[in-house]
Amino acid sequence: MFVIVMYDVHVKRVAKVLKTCRRYLYWVQNSVLEGEISKADFAALKRELAEIISPDHDSVLFYTFRTTRYTSRESIGIQKGGEDRFL
Amino acid sequence: MVEKSLYIFSNGELKRKDNTLFFETTEGKKFIPITTVREIFLFGEVTFNSKVLDFLSQQQALVHYFNHYGYYSGTMYPRERIVSGDMILRQAEHYLDTSRRVAIAQRFVQGAAQNLRRVLKYYQGRGRDVENPLDKIESLIPSVSSYDDVNQLMAIEGNIREAYYQAFNSILSNAYFRFEGRTKRPPKSPLNALISFGNSMLYTTVLSEIYKTHLDPRIGYLHATNFRRFTLNLDVAEIFKPILVDRIIFSMIDKGMLKASHFVKASEGIFLNDAGRGAFVKQWDERLQQTIQVRELGRSVSYRRLIRMELYKLEKHLLEEKVYVPFAARW
Repeated sequence: MFVIVMYDVHVKRVAKVLKTCRRYLYWVQNSVLEGEISKADFAALKRELAEIISPDHDSVLFYTFRTTRYTSRESIGIQKGGEDRFL
Repeated sequence: MVEKSLYIFSNGELKRKDNTLFFETTEGKKFIPITTVREIFLFGEVTFNSKVLDFLSQQQALVHYFNHYGYYSGTMYPRERIVSGDMILRQAEHYLDTSRRVAIAQRFVQGAAQNLRRVLKYYQGRGRDVENPLDKIESLIPSVSSYDDVNQLMAIEGNIREAYYQAFNSILSNAYFRFEGRTKRPPKSPLNALISFGNSMLYTTVLSEIYKTHLDPRIGYLHATNFRRFTLNLDVAEIFKPILVDRIIFSMIDKGMLKASHFVKASEGIFLNDAGRGAFVKQWDERLQQTIQVRELGRSVSYRRLIRMELYKLEKHLLEEKVYVPFAARW
């Protein structure tokens, strides 16, 4: 599956959330990561994030797609990150 | 599991950082999610330390490295995670018993020949003159089962492949990619450079898949097991060379995706340069993820998965559960 993660958390926890997400997904821009992920890894990621955030103050959103076939993505301005497996 | 490959062409440093992979070059930095990486191909000059190696082993990711000319040099093969004493004994048992070894070797040759034939059939359907090589291959296939010596099998495999290569000039219309005999170490023509490079990509990919099974890559059947290298991946690769490597080569040449500027002359041979390797590897990666309908299963699977299924079939054969029938492409 494909997932887009966005987070809005207290500054004290931003780095922790980012580091956790980076292990599973590609950083796209500040507070946004995306990538293909297995169901098991997605569950693990959510579990890890739940441990870090404060449920009363922070917010994390997950948009999931079974496939990206019927989606499109446009962007304007500079490209900051994203998936790249050919370095 | 999302299984993806990471290909590094640039020079830089690979690090373990924040419990994931981090690649740093003079141009920039990049984090790579470790949970998706199952193998890394190193073509560039990459420095790394034992901390990364330990991390990659722990994550069960393989690292294949290639030298300056794109020759495969080796693999960091992490400690086997799924070991089965029983499977190793079965593998050895089938190797040591000549009749059983030949039975498996024959199937690799037959499978390879079938798929070579299928590729030529496709081009025959598109009006290319491949009549003679095709007839030759078809006349040789039935004889494979009559050889009970591995060296003879290697020889007949060589004859079939030679006939197959004769068709290359009818298939390829681009004069730059003429086939004038197979040359290796070093390849002497752009087409030979492509075949060699493509084959080594296949060998390493099969090796990565073997790692995910109980099989031991050191015990092969068609290719003699020796003290130096992995051989089982060479055996299994024979089945997939025509349908993966050769098809990518034909399609890339046909579409004009490869030019003289993708090759360099060096040490009395011709090699792909970074741009050429990059172009090929992109197609390679896409092809492995491409899915095809498998009639026996009634569903579609990716080519990478197909390689793994071939290994499972081999495991079943070794355990004497089901006789191994090599994958035969249908188009």
